[in-house]
Amino acid sequence: MENNNNMGELKAQNQNKKQVRLFYCMECEELAAKVAAQSQLITLQSINWRNFDDGFPNLFINNAHDIRGQHVAFLASFSSPSVIFEQLSVIYNLPRLFVASFTLVLPFFPTGSFERMEEEGDVATAFTMARILSNIPISRGGPTSLVIYDIHALQERFYFGDHVLPLFETGIPLLKQRLHQLPDAEKIVVAFPDDGAWKRFHKLLDHFPMVICTKVREGDKRIVRLKEGNPAGCHVVIVDDLVQSGGTLIECQKVLVAHGAAKVSAYVTHGVFPKRSWERFTPKNDEGSEKGFAFFWITDSCPHTVKAIGNRAPFEVLSLAGSIADALQI
Amino acid sequence: MAATSPPLPSSFQNRKKIFSNFTSSKPFSILSSDKKCSRFWCQIKSFENQPPNWSVEFLSGTEPIHLIQNSPSSSMSMAAASASDSAVKTVKKVCLFYCAETKALAERIAAESDAIEIRSINWRTFEDGFPNLFIPNAHGIRGQHVAFLASFSSPGVIFEQLSVIYALPKLFISSFTLVLPFFPTGTSERMEDEGDVATAFTLARILSNIPTSRGGPTSLVTFDIHALQERFYFGDNILPCFESGIPLLKNRLQQLPDSDNISIAFPDDGAWKRFHKQLQHFPTIVCNKVRIGDQRIVRIKEGEAAGRHVVIVDDLVQSGGTLIECQRVLAANGAAKISAYVTHGIFPNRSWQRFECDNGGHPENGLTYFWITDSCPQTVKAVMSKPPFEILSLAGSIAAALQI
Repeated sequence: MENNNNMGELKAQNQNKKQVRLFYCMECEELAAKVAAQSQLITLQSINWRNFDDGFPNLFINNAHDIRGQHVAFLASFSSPSVIFEQLSVIYNLPRLFVASFTLVLPFFPTGSFERMEEEGDVATAFTMARILSNIPISRGGPTSLVIYDIHALQERFYFGDHVLPLFETGIPLLKQRLHQLPDAEKIVVAFPDDGAWKRFHKLLDHFPMVICTKVREGDKRIVRLKEGNPAGCHVVIVDDLVQSGGTLIECQKVLVAHGAAKVSAYVTHGVFPKRSWERFTPKNDEGSEKGFAFFWITDSCPHTVKAIGNRAPFEVLSLAGSIADALQI
Repeated sequence: MAATSPPLPSSFQNRKKIFSNFTSSKPFSILSSDKKCSRFWCQIKSFENQPPNWSVEFLSGTEPIHLIQNSPSSSMSMAAASASDSAVKTVKKVCLFYCAETKALAERIAAESDAIEIRSINWRTFEDGFPNLFIPNAHGIRGQHVAFLASFSSPGVIFEQLSVIYALPKLFISSFTLVLPFFPTGTSERMEDEGDVATAFTLARILSNIPTSRGGPTSLVTFDIHALQERFYFGDNILPCFESGIPLLKNRLQQLPDSDNISIAFPDDGAWKRFHKQLQHFPTIVCNKVRIGDQRIVRIKEGEAAGRHVVIVDDLVQSGGTLIECQRVLAANGAAKISAYVTHGIFPNRSWQRFECDNGGHPENGLTYFWITDSCPQTVKAVMSKPPFEILSLAGSIAAALQI
């Protein structure tokens, strides 16, 4: 009897599972392989990425006939403006190949981070990016699903038009899992470098004690101060969605140590680190780890950074592969 | 007050003169029963009680032609004739933005007409490489006609220009025109297999999605688009305006001392299809590629080259291989001089270096002239003042197109 029930459950579960054909850009080859390794339902597909002499892309989707009637996904990475057009050409083309559904996985949505629309004349490139993605042709499966991790500004979700279905995921569960594995898991305090980070993440981390920092203007300078919470004697983990130059994190760390934090670590979903700014976080020569970060967790949303950093302490890469594989089943 | 009368352009001296003296104090119409002649030359000698800004509209069927402010540099002027009513419109003032690559061309365009004003944009980059853009004096363009002169010379420069192109129409301007002299991507690809990715489709789609401004769909001005069917790639929210550089070539050919000895050669049937109608008053030569064993050889299909100054005409040049093969065949068939014209000098990897100058008598080794337009600014920089290259500027043609 019990067996029958279990079988029934398994059957129901399997009926909800879809086979997915996963294409990917060149930068994302490793992450795509990891995603496919998560599930037998996900198979890797290939594209010929070449260039004409004039620099424009010369692309060919292999086995295009085989993807008819299949669920198809594309793993993209817009690490710089110059790689957008070639990936976009594939993204605009795949839905029209009689696929059953199309999902675009773009772990890191760039452009949204620095800009503010403060004056008329500011050009919001996040709007441009969202508009380009909203214009993906519809496939037989309806609007394209667009999977993005920890989008920088929560209102950016409203930049997208009706022909895409944005699916906003987060890397925080990966962090929580990792924190539970630490020997000092009980002494962990989560710190937010500013109110923006708090707004984005506090609900997901509310079972941890929290510290909130803020930037206060003193004369011409802006100084990081502790606003709420007490880090004394604890292992403080600074949490934010992304890191660029790293300046904010370093200032936060100094303030936390000044208030008695025993250890300071950091987590960001997106290690953007332009111009190798991650080098500021690797210990120099005989610097002890008390002076720096105990752990610096990033995900593999930014493949160039992951490659550059390799195995260097204090960095640890938490892979989005499992999370992406699950998202592809939605 | 009498308008100063510019000299009649020579091309019009043979045309029928409808009237030699005409004065009016208010908007006028001219009725004509001559249906064949669709262009009229009219000098307006005096225009009482009217401000000097005037333009006159000619309507024939559904084709409006606007007369730009009468200036010595304009080589063509047309008079108004209308069966119903004719409006006297002022010339459109246009705010012209541009990207870094197209600055020189933008300045030439603005020099063509008082109505066109150059505007600047702050093009900077964030540390992560993404653009940090600012349009100064954005309030100042409200209610104005706005244009952007773009150049997509490589995929890397598309995103920053696109951000400006998507932002400008939403600034309460009265109309938006995108001038993209060269539409890339359309050239090398063929959709032969399912799996071929047509990047021309991608680019057309991106441009078709430009936000609508108060003036309605964006106008897209482009010159000599490679595949004529590419016009159908564009959606309804954009109005493509397909212009050609051939009129510039015709003007230049008329200035040559041997202008009566010119024949036009087309390197293949595609070029013939694209251009023969615009060049039908020249004798033509058509080449094609014939397969002999494993090789493809250029042959002359029709026409006579012997003793002629042959001008090879095509829309663009990449490696130059096709042109060079044509040149050899024409020389072997007795051409006295050989020149070339392409609208778009793409010349990837400096392939323009293959073209030598023929100073007389050796058409198999070099060209007498190689005309290109300024649609590809990087090339213009490289070949300027290097014989046989001569640049024919699109500035006048673009300035006129901005008045549409």
